[in-house]
Amino acid sequence: MVGFAFIQQSIEHLRIYHNEKIIFLPRAVFAGLLIVGFQTNWVVFILLGVGLLILNRFQGPYNGGADRMSLLILICLCGIHIAPTKEWQEVALGYLAVQLMLSYFISGWVKVINPEWRNGQALVDVFRFSAYPVSESLRGWSNHPQLLLMMSWLIIVFELVFPLSIVFGDILIIALVIAAIFHFMNACLFGLNRFFWIWLAAYPSILWFQQRLFVTIS
Amino acid sequence: MLHLINLLLPALIPSWNFFDVIVPSPRIQYAFLDSKHGAVDKWLEFRPRPTHVSFFEMLKRMVWNPYWNESLFLMSCAERLLEYPTKHSETEIYKRLIFELDSNTINSKIKDKKYIQFRLVLIRREGDKLKEEISYVSTSQRFEKMY
Repeated sequence: MVGFAFIQQSIEHLRIYHNEKIIFLPRAVFAGLLIVGFQTNWVVFILLGVGLLILNRFQGPYNGGADRMSLLILICLCGIHIAPTKEWQEVALGYLAVQLMLSYFISGWVKVINPEWRNGQALVDVFRFSAYPVSESLRGWSNHPQLLLMMSWLIIVFELVFPLSIVFGDILIIALVIAAIFHFMNACLFGLNRFFWIWLAAYPSILWFQQRLFVTIS
Repeated sequence: MLHLINLLLPALIPSWNFFDVIVPSPRIQYAFLDSKHGAVDKWLEFRPRPTHVSFFEMLKRMVWNPYWNESLFLMSCAERLLEYPTKHSETEIYKRLIFELDSNTINSKIKDKKYIQFRLVLIRREGDKLKEEISYVSTSQRFEKMY
């Protein structure tokens, strides 16, 4: 899944600019090697190196949070490969799982403490004048403040309670399905397709984390 | 090296504060000039949104969305220019602006133009009204490919 997400990101850069092709073409090839499982202990380090080149090339992430999650996954995979013991490997994978949980919880927290999110104005503003809606017709959603108020609270509550789902067995699966639908909607409405794939690629870490924490304890 | 570590740290210890505050949103507008310090006749919006995007097109963009992702990167460059202006951000905007306009064979008048300039217009809400404010005007640039 990680390999697929990297290929998807990389091929989008192969259209035009030569100096981007020379970074993203090798990245797509190494992501392919990750998918087939060829020398993965080297490939993850090479992909991390390429990720640093990309950071330097664009003087920051090209695609915000999606690039940051991509790098975080690679850092954790490299950590797993260099960890001297099984316990340290678990720390590396657990760190990714915790960050994934925090990605929802902190997003919910920063919204719930903002009065404009609580009264629905923030989501109205997103549709009304932010750069994200992919078409002018979507800006019409800002004329439905009651609907957006309800959506705001659904998002806030889901993001805040997401970490609890890890405690309740199969509820985590349901929470991940809802989260995937949320990312899918963001991809459709705001064009954030890279977020969808890279967040899904991190989901196995939280499934493992749940097993490790609660099955071991029980 | 220190600069690279500074770029990497937000990935290692992310803030995850997506959409915490809906800040004023920049738009990129451009104009052609006859000379480096010539007068601007008309500002045009770069990459205006389409009126409508079908659900089928949205599904296609799940796997192939380079144009929009480039537009999001241009927004990042615009925001960076407003926060801490760098040559890199201005060059990235110019490079993509010139490439796209140069590729636009429909408008043959563009071919006659010698210089180009862009500006950033911030859109913000004040009360119930939307306000526009010119927040950055670039130095003009020869209209020639930069890659």
